[in-house]
Amino acid sequence: MNEFEPKIVAFVCNWCTYAGADLTGTSRIKYAQNVKIIRFPCTGRIDFMLLLKSFGEGADGIIVSGCHPNDCHYTSGNFHARRRWIMFRGLLDMLGIDVRRIQYSWVSAAEGAKWADVVNTTVTAIRELGPYTDYAKVAGYLEKEANV
Amino acid sequence: MSKIGVFICHCGENISATVDVVRVAEAAGKLEGVEFSTDYKYMCSDPGQTLIKQMIKEKGLTGVIVAACSPRMHEPTFRKACSSAGLNPYMCEMSNLREHCSWVHDKSEATTQKAIDLVRTLVGKVKYNKPLYSIKVPVTKTALVIGGGIAGIQSSLDIANAGHQVVLVEKDPSIGGHMSQLSETFPTLDCSQCILTPRMVEVAQHPNIKLLTYAELEKLEGFIGNFKATIRKKAKSIDEDLCTGCGTCITKCPTKKIPSEFNTGLGKRTAIYVPFPQAVPNKPVIDKENCLYYKNGKCKICEKVCPTGAIRFDQEDELVELEVGAVVVATGFDVMEPSKFSEYGYGKYKDVITGLQFERLASASGPTLGEIRRPSDGKIPEKIVFVACAGSRDPSKGKPYCSKICCMYTAKHAMLYQHKVHHGESTIFYMDIRSAGKNYEEFVRRAIVEDDVKYIRGRVSKVYEENGKLIVKGVDTLLNAKPVEIQADMVVLATAAVANSGAEELAQKMHISYDAYNFFSEAHPKLKPVETNTAGIFLAGACQAPKDIPETVSQASGAAAKVAILFSQDELSREPVVAVVNRSAPPLYSTCVGCFMCATACPYQAIGEELITNRKGEVIKRVAKVNPGLCQGCGTCVAFCRSKSIDIDGYSNEQMYSEVMALLND
Amino acid sequence: MKELIQKAASLLETNVVQVVIGYGKGSADRTRAIFSTTAADCEQLIFDSRCIQNLAVYLTKAEIKKMGKPAIVAPLPVLRSILQLAAENQITDDSLVVLGVSPESELIEFESLAAIETYLATKQIAIEEKYQTTIKAIKAMPVSERFAYWVKELEPCFKCYACRAACPLCYCTRCTVENNQPQWISVASHSLGNLEWHIMRAMHLAGRCTDCEACYNACPMGIPIYLLTKSMLQDVSENFGTYGPSLHRDNTLSSFNPDDKESFIR
Repeated sequence: MNEFEPKIVAFVCNWCTYAGADLTGTSRIKYAQNVKIIRFPCTGRIDFMLLLKSFGEGADGIIVSGCHPNDCHYTSGNFHARRRWIMFRGLLDMLGIDVRRIQYSWVSAAEGAKWADVVNTTVTAIRELGPYTDYAKVAGYLEKEANV
Repeated sequence: MSKIGVFICHCGENISATVDVVRVAEAAGKLEGVEFSTDYKYMCSDPGQTLIKQMIKEKGLTGVIVAACSPRMHEPTFRKACSSAGLNPYMCEMSNLREHCSWVHDKSEATTQKAIDLVRTLVGKVKYNKPLYSIKVPVTKTALVIGGGIAGIQSSLDIANAGHQVVLVEKDPSIGGHMSQLSETFPTLDCSQCILTPRMVEVAQHPNIKLLTYAELEKLEGFIGNFKATIRKKAKSIDEDLCTGCGTCITKCPTKKIPSEFNTGLGKRTAIYVPFPQAVPNKPVIDKENCLYYKNGKCKICEKVCPTGAIRFDQEDELVELEVGAVVVATGFDVMEPSKFSEYGYGKYKDVITGLQFERLASASGPTLGEIRRPSDGKIPEKIVFVACAGSRDPSKGKPYCSKICCMYTAKHAMLYQHKVHHGESTIFYMDIRSAGKNYEEFVRRAIVEDDVKYIRGRVSKVYEENGKLIVKGVDTLLNAKPVEIQADMVVLATAAVANSGAEELAQKMHISYDAYNFFSEAHPKLKPVETNTAGIFLAGACQAPKDIPETVSQASGAAAKVAILFSQDELSREPVVAVVNRSAPPLYSTCVGCFMCATACPYQAIGEELITNRKGEVIKRVAKVNPGLCQGCGTCVAFCRSKSIDIDGYSNEQMYSEVMALLND
Repeated sequence: MKELIQKAASLLETNVVQVVIGYGKGSADRTRAIFSTTAADCEQLIFDSRCIQNLAVYLTKAEIKKMGKPAIVAPLPVLRSILQLAAENQITDDSLVVLGVSPESELIEFESLAAIETYLATKQIAIEEKYQTTIKAIKAMPVSERFAYWVKELEPCFKCYACRAACPLCYCTRCTVENNQPQWISVASHSLGNLEWHIMRAMHLAGRCTDCEACYNACPMGIPIYLLTKSMLQDVSENFGTYGPSLHRDNTLSSFNPDDKESFIR
């Protein structure tokens, strides 16, 4: 059987991490294909419900990334996001939703290499954890596929 | 039903070399809602854009996806193209196949598959895009220039001469900056003050420039065209309107032994002082930390002698609020704290000095009146060793970058020394001679050939004192790494140019980015060298990176031109990416329940309240309301709203939801 | 409870308020909310240990608002909810009269909402030991097992939304679960929809919940959903120090501290 290729969604802010990922490209630093970016204006905009929906739709892992503290283009969106993540992570942990499947990071517009590293280490980590079958079972995806 | 056009760009071979663009176009064509898809060599080229316009008209497209480079690069290009074909520009989105795909992956099936996924994701989003219309905001045609060195002076004069108002804020008691400290300037050896002071006077006298010295930026709020700046005017302890600048107070001040900042500690000043004779404004300030009255409550001699009664011991800092449309940041640089050079004995030996201190020694207005005399005993040094790259290009000192100006000023220092001390010997230890610039290389050659300055390619390992001489131990790498020892009378360190100590804090106040060394970041290293990532804030001079005077002046004029362009319009068009509180049918009117937590969360105080009234004017409901002029579109409120009553145009709940769904459902 | 009845009656007689929200006798041995509009109605008011329903929930209901200015019988959990509602701009000093009831069943009158905050300062929310133990035990389970535990616990939920209806802080006029553009949460009572609903509910109560347990008391299936909010209350206190309703402190999630600490962001 082929190696498991996890599906990973990255929720990133436009000003730091998206630009940082652009720099990864400009610098031609290679990383794994598994991660696909969705661009938000700010980490403050990232709704926890979207993270939840991603698992519901079959994501094996998630990256959430934005500007370093004090560097937010909008001054404090990332601070609000951080509080939200602290609470959300605690709740998911209580519920047994595997918090190792969500990697949070600060990647600035100058950290092209860091972005590649965040992607690669996350892909490796999720590969080790394997497909998120626990959640998929609840989401009914396995049954759906089995019926086809 | 959507009719989406998908245009896959080859970007020459940048994308097509690793991504099978034909297959991506084919796959896109099969997606629900996609009316037309194709691939093309250069979408951003004129024929590429024409193709989009043609298809919008021919197929009646309701949405466009251009899958090419980063939207941060070409989103405006393609939105403009769509607009000219009659499609609302905000119905166009870009899928980033270059920076986020072809450039970071090798050619493979997985890479093409990822490209298909990325296109499908954006198709998912664009289905829920809606036409948006740019927001018009007025422009306050006053510029705030922060920093009164040559960069700030040049920017201020240019903006003022273009007919706009300028407020120039300087943290020190006088404008002039580092340039006023310099002796002569390379490569022409014209006297720095001679060319600078007329400009300083022009600033002071310009009807369009308001000068605030001894003042600093406290807070900056708002956005392009509409900033609100709060300036802290530090208490000078004098009434500037009454003071005539006669200088009697300075002569009589009993505290005379304070190291002069202007003379880099090589000279002394009084507690009530002007930093240097040509200061603008030429009115003193009291240095509260050293003034006897502020320290012990006794003295007040200046008050007694002042003929106009201008001394004000009870003066307090004043906060001034200014409305400005643009900001030029010209806060300059500093030289690296020389205490980091223990191996060179700085601080231990009085005759080991920095380049900036040498400038003061060589300056006709300096503590030695332009004679090169060493600080320890005032003797004229017979031998001077100059150490280039003291800190620069040295990762162990935390500054891997080149400070750019040191090669030139070190050559100048040696030359000035040779001109003043004919029998003297000067030796320069260097790593490389970087003399790119008009007439720069010629200047260095002149130092070597005409003035006999000895250049040794190699580093200095140690400086120590022995029998009244400074022993400089180094190596000559061009002579098989032969060790060199020079018995010098003085050592001059070309210390690295570093960012000002308050740079990071200032950047955070203004919400502009800065690099790992706290130099402010330009918006694009090549194409937007004076812009910052915050619209309406521009950079000039060495606060962005070390640079010499010609370069600083060019950038300062560039920044001024950007401000003048901005001020040439009465209103600005702003991206309509703003939050909106929803409206619904009666009896709800809006699903907002008025908890106003969004207002607490908003970084811009852009959320206020609105009272929904009936025809009789009775209040039916109190809900949140976003001021689109203040909203910057971060969307923090949107993610926070429990009832999803507030949404953001351009990144709406429906758009983002659909994007996630499309990404994960192939 | 004579004092309470007298006070309530006099408030109505003097027309200071037009309705008194209080507890009355319900079916069997239970109590229920009653809405007295006349002094005579007030005779029905009771207060004892069975009165656990959180009456604050009625303060934001349109039907009750229509009746005029209310007075409300408010034991500790209700007082906390009132304060939180005030912090969320749902009620003001002028909009109600609070008939506080101390844990010793004594009537306490409050001059203002600020006075409630002063009173509550000595009565901090504390998660009972037994719940702390349960939460600890759940968190100690291996992650898969914990997930399975919750999926099973939430299995009986049939989305009657009684938890929402009973919660004084679920006063939105349109809950996100009823938003179908997009359809954030599947309306079917299916494992995924149940999970998403309870996660969303808990997140929306993060930093707001005052631990009144009304949601649990209302749940016809007895699902221990309060363990989620209790666990989050612990998280708030561990991560941000302060918790509990306050008029002058910004809400936990709509505010921040630049020095907030976490260990999971790289």
